Amino acid sequence: MGQEFILLVSATVFCIGAFGFMVRKNPLIMFMSVELMLNSVNFLLIGYSNILKSLDGQIFALMIMAVAAAEVVVGLALILTIFRTRHDLNVDHLDSLKG
Amino acid sequence: MFGYGWLVLIAPLLGFLSLSCLGKRIPRSIAGYLGCATVGFAFFISLILLVHLSVLEPEERVGGAQALYTWIDSGQFHLDFAILIDPLSVFMFLIVTGVGFLIHVYSLGYMEHDPEFKRFFAYLNLFIFSMCVLVSAADFFFLIVGWALVGLASYLLIGFWRDKPSAVLAARKAFVMNVIGDVGMLVAAFMIFETFGSLSYQKVFEMAPTMFLANDMNMILITLFLLVGAFAKSAQLPLHTWLPDAMEGPTPVSALIHAATMVTAGVYLVARCHTLFELAPFTMYVIATVGIITATFAGTIAMVQTDIKRVIAYSTMSQLGYMFLAVGLGMFSFGMFHLMTHAFFKALLFLGAGSVIHSLNEEQDIRKMGGLAKAMPVTYITFLIGSLALAGFPLTSGFFSKEAIIMGAYHSEMGNILFWGLAVFTAGMTAFYTFRLFFCVFQGDLRTPDAHPHESPVTMTGPLVILGFFALAAGVLGPWVDSFLSPVFGGHAEHYQDGFLETIAVFVGLGGIMTAGLLYMVRSDKIEPIKEALAPIQEILFHKYYVDEIYDFLIVKPVKAISVFLEDMGEKKGVDFAVDQVGEQVREVSKYVSLWQSGRIRDYAVNMVAGMALVLIFVAFL
Repeated sequence: MGQEFILLVSATVFCIGAFGFMVRKNPLIMFMSVELMLNSVNFLLIGYSNILKSLDGQIFALMIMAVAAAEVVVGLALILTIFRTRHDLNVDHLDSLKG
Repeated sequence: MFGYGWLVLIAPLLGFLSLSCLGKRIPRSIAGYLGCATVGFAFFISLILLVHLSVLEPEERVGGAQALYTWIDSGQFHLDFAILIDPLSVFMFLIVTGVGFLIHVYSLGYMEHDPEFKRFFAYLNLFIFSMCVLVSAADFFFLIVGWALVGLASYLLIGFWRDKPSAVLAARKAFVMNVIGDVGMLVAAFMIFETFGSLSYQKVFEMAPTMFLANDMNMILITLFLLVGAFAKSAQLPLHTWLPDAMEGPTPVSALIHAATMVTAGVYLVARCHTLFELAPFTMYVIATVGIITATFAGTIAMVQTDIKRVIAYSTMSQLGYMFLAVGLGMFSFGMFHLMTHAFFKALLFLGAGSVIHSLNEEQDIRKMGGLAKAMPVTYITFLIGSLALAGFPLTSGFFSKEAIIMGAYHSEMGNILFWGLAVFTAGMTAFYTFRLFFCVFQGDLRTPDAHPHESPVTMTGPLVILGFFALAAGVLGPWVDSFLSPVFGGHAEHYQDGFLETIAVFVGLGGIMTAGLLYMVRSDKIEPIKEALAPIQEILFHKYYVDEIYDFLIVKPVKAISVFLEDMGEKKGVDFAVDQVGEQVREVSKYVSLWQSGRIRDYAVNMVAGMALVLIFVAFL
């Protein structure tokens, strides 16, 4: 498993995530896309941790996963509340912050 | 040496703080006693200081400045909060706290029914504290601090009845006039620091005689700027207009601040800085001239005023003029002696007037009074003593102090016949208007039929009796004052003896009293014809030489016109317009910028990704 492979996979997954976040209108799918981006970075960290024979990367990855989990909890709660009040989950309709 | 001197300052300060900050936790019933107690304590400490000073050798009595703590320490500039205990400051302490204590006690009775009794005592304590700071300052910095603080206390007390528009206006006028003086003092302090590199009295007074010859331009300028402050505070021409108006305040305030203590601060200043003033004979001449002109000027006005308090106010101005004449002629201890006797008899007259006003339900017009002698015997007798002292009747306190000044006006180095003549003429007028007032108020018949005059309570008559005693007897203290203060002034003032001139002065004074008696007691039918014959003069005097009107025309109106013009052109069409335009233009631009803020999450996501991509490209390729 060479360096290029790790970089390539990570970049691909990140781009999929970013693209998904930009084009999808369902907040749940957008959330998953965000997770893809986060995990692409985790993948990179762990891959390099293996190459450099250092545990630092893995520790970072663990931290990121913990933070992401916490963030998901908040995010899902928000999405649920929005759905309950508006009965509509199309993010394009959530534009009350328009300036 | 005087490690306990600060107690004089701290007691009234604590009184002020507790009365003003503790609110309802101090019941009304003890608030007044608390206010009196703090001042009484300060007076007690002053007495101890007096005894302490008296047992010292005369040379050890001066220069007792002690630093309480360091206030500013910045580079070359070092300033301690220091108090100066020497004969002059203790002398002033005694007058301020002694007369102040009596007036506090008097206020217990006078303000008894006032709903804001407590606020009144808080302000009075603040005033006593401020005045003590002023007289105990050991440098020009704290002199100015005290100077401004007494101005504040005076402002608060003149405007004490704050729902009375005339009182509020009078307070404002007093404050503005005093600030003119404060600015003069500040300029003088800057110049002193520039010249001597220090603000401490001790250093400045030590250096001044070694650095400058008499009438050096520097000294003249410094002393003239100091004078601006002294004249504004002591209501001398041309900064006098606030004092008569200040009578809008409660009567104990007039007695304490506008007769006995604060207005004499200017005289104190000249006496304290005598080293500087002696180096500027020109300024001394200005002081003496302005003093005697003010004395005459105010005396003439007092002759025709009809408000009991205003008559006394103008006589205060006139007597302050005498004090300035004395210090201007270099007779510092005579000036201080007259300051002391004046504090006694003028506080007495004001308190007596307050007692009269109190019993006639706030009536102040002497034309509506009369015949109060029977109803108010204590007030009557003490007022008579005060009037005699003010008129300079032989053997009363005022006689000794005034006579010393009048003699000096002719015989001292700078004295001349003009000073003497005006001083005697003013003494005659003083006797006349004092007894005109006295006869109008106490003799004849009461001219307000429905009034029921009654004697005042003992809290009010008590101070009157004590002050009456001092007004009568304080004359014997003259030699003591001179010798007690001589270490400060570096020598005794010469007491000139001249039987002939003295006799003239005495007879002019008696003549004034008799004229008043003749006109207002015996032949009161002659008053109207005389008034008519002198109508034009009477008119001018009644309007106080139209000084207020002149100031209004020369200063107030132009300033108002400029202000209105600036408000319109500068404020509305200039500053406001510019500010409005900035806001307007920003709003215009924002209309376009805010299009970016679509509110759609996906747009933001795209912008973010695009931004990140740009940063990446920038980092990678540039």
